[in-house]
Amino acid sequence: MPGGADFWITQFLNGLQFSMLLFLLSIGLTVIFGLLHFVNLAHGALYMLGAYVGVSAAAHLGGYWSALVLGPLAVMAIGIVLYLTLIKRMRRAGPMNQVLVTFGLIFVIVDIVRILWGDVALGLAEPASLSGPIQIFGVSYPAYRVFVTAVGLVVMIALSVVLNRTQIGAMIRAGVENDAMAACLGINVERLFFLVFCVGCALAGLAGVIAVPLFSATPGMGTDILIPTLIVVVIGGLGSLNGAILGSLIVGFIQTFGAVVTPGLASVLVYVLLAAVLITKPAGLLPARG
Amino acid sequence: MLELSGVTAGYGETQVLHGVDLVVREGQFHAILGRNGAGKTTTLKTIMGLVPAKGGEIRFAGDSIAGREPYRIATLGIAYVPETRDVFGALTVEENLHLAARIGVGRAGGWSIEKVLAIFPNLAERMDNGGNQLSGGEQQMLSIGRALLMNPSLMILDEPTEGLAPIIVRQIFDKLMELKQAGLTLLLVEQNFHFALNLADEVSVFGRGQCIWTGTPDALRMDEDLHKRWIGV
Ligand SMILES: Nc1ncnc2c1ncn2[C@@H]1O[C@H](COP(=O)(O)OP(=O)(O)OP(=O)(O)O)[C@@H](O)[C@H]1O
Ligand SMILES: [Mg+2]
Repeated sequence: MPGGADFWITQFLNGLQFSMLLFLLSIGLTVIFGLLHFVNLAHGALYMLGAYVGVSAAAHLGGYWSALVLGPLAVMAIGIVLYLTLIKRMRRAGPMNQVLVTFGLIFVIVDIVRILWGDVALGLAEPASLSGPIQIFGVSYPAYRVFVTAVGLVVMIALSVVLNRTQIGAMIRAGVENDAMAACLGINVERLFFLVFCVGCALAGLAGVIAVPLFSATPGMGTDILIPTLIVVVIGGLGSLNGAILGSLIVGFIQTFGAVVTPGLASVLVYVLLAAVLITKPAGLLPARG
Repeated sequence: MLELSGVTAGYGETQVLHGVDLVVREGQFHAILGRNGAGKTTTLKTIMGLVPAKGGEIRFAGDSIAGREPYRIATLGIAYVPETRDVFGALTVEENLHLAARIGVGRAGGWSIEKVLAIFPNLAERMDNGGNQLSGGEQQMLSIGRALLMNPSLMILDEPTEGLAPIIVRQIFDKLMELKQAGLTLLLVEQNFHFALNLADEVSVFGRGQCIWTGTPDALRMDEDLHKRWIGV
C-alpha cells in the first residue's frame, strides 16, 4: 500500500474535488426531485452537453473562461426547451413514465452529441493562470483542481445562503415540504419549480465545463456520472441541500480512497453503503421532509 | 362572499360531494357540522382548488373560482387552515409567518406579524424554533396566525379544536370570538358541537356529500331529529 503523508493529503484533496463535482450535479437533481417529485435521468446528459458546448465555445470564442460562462447558459437554455416541451407535461405522469421518457432522452442527447462532435474524446485546456501546481497543505497540487474545489464550495455557500436566509429560499423549502400548503399561501409552486429547474440545469452545465480539463469530454461521461450522482441523492435524502453536501462528500471520498486502498472493491463499496443507508434510513441521511 | 351551487367532486373514481349548496355572507361566521366522512374537508379542499370541482359553480366575491389553481384562489383572498394544520416543520415559526405576510402586506385587514404575536403571545417566544418543535396547540395558533397574515377576506378553518386540550380549545375559542368582533368572515368546520354553535351566526349540516340543512344555531339546537340523523348525540 502506498504511504506517506503527502500521498494521503493529495488523495484527500482529490476526494474533496470529486465531491464538489458530485455536489454541483446532485444539488440540482435532488431539489428537482424534492420540489417537483420529478425524476430527471437526463441530468447527466445535460452535464455532458455542458462539457461539449464548453469545448466548442473555448475553441471558437475566448478559451476557457468563455466556456465557463457559455456552457451553463447553453445548458440552461436547453433545459428551458426540455421543460416547456416535455417535462411540464410529464409533471403528473408518475415516476415510471418520467423515468422512461428521461431515460430515452439520454440516448437522444448522446446521439446528437455524437453527430455534432463525433465519437472521440475532446479536451479543453485549463486557463494558463491555473495550469501549474500550487503548494497546499505542504504538498504540490494542481492549481486547476483547487479551482474546481473552490467553485464547488462557492456554489455550496451561495445556495446555502439563498435557501436558508432569503424569502425565495424559504418558499423553496416550503414547496419541497408541502407543495399544496405552499400554494395555499399564494406561492406559485410551478413557477418556483421552473426557476429551480433552470438553476439545476445551469449547475449541471457548469459541472460539465469544469470537468473537461480533468476527464475530457466523451459521449459516455453523462451516464458515467449519473450513477454516483443518483447514489448521492438517495444517500443524502431527496430535496435536501445538506443531504446533497453530505452525500457528495461520502460518495466522493469513498470512491477516491476506495480506489487507492482496495482497488478491487472500490466500486462495490459505494453500493454497499447505498444498501446500508436504504436499510437503516430509507429516506436518506438528511431528508428535507423530517 | 362565497357561494357554492351544485358542487360535485371526489378522489379519482370515487365521488364524495354530490351537489353541495352553501352560501357564506360577508362578516359572517358560518359553521359546518356533520359526521365523519360527510364531505366537510373535501368541500373546503374543493373551494381551495386542492380537489378539482367536477361540476357545479363556486363563486367568490363575484368571480367564478372553480378550476383555478390553489395559489390563485389564495391570492384572491381566501386563507386556509387545514385539519392537519400543515405548519412547515423545516421552517422556523418566523419564516412560516413571513411567507404568509408576503402576499398579505398592504391589504385591507391590517394584520401584521406584531399583531399576530400580540394575540398569540406563545408564538412570540418561539420565533426561532422550527415548526416541527411546536406542540399541537402552538401549531394550530401558527396556522391561524399565518392565515390572518394573508389578510384574507375569507378564512377557512377545518376542525381547529381536534386533538387539543380543553384549556387550549378555550383559548382558541376566545381568539376566534375576538376575530368575529373585528369583522372577519369565517367558514368553520367543527365536530365540537358547542364550540361551533356558540361561535357561529349560521350553521350548515352536512351528510353524505351534501348540505342537508342550513339555519341559525338556535334552530339547530331545537331540532332533535336533525341531530339524531346527521350529527349524533
Ligand atoms: N385523499 C382521499 N382519497 C380518497 N378518498 C378520500 C380522501 N380523502 C377523503 N376521502 C373520502 O371522502 C369521504 C369524505 O371525506 P372528508 O375528509 O371530506 O370527510 P369529513 O367530513 O371531513 O370527515 P371528518 O369529520 O372525519 O374530517 C370519506 O369517505 C373519505 O374516506
Ligand atoms: Mg375532515
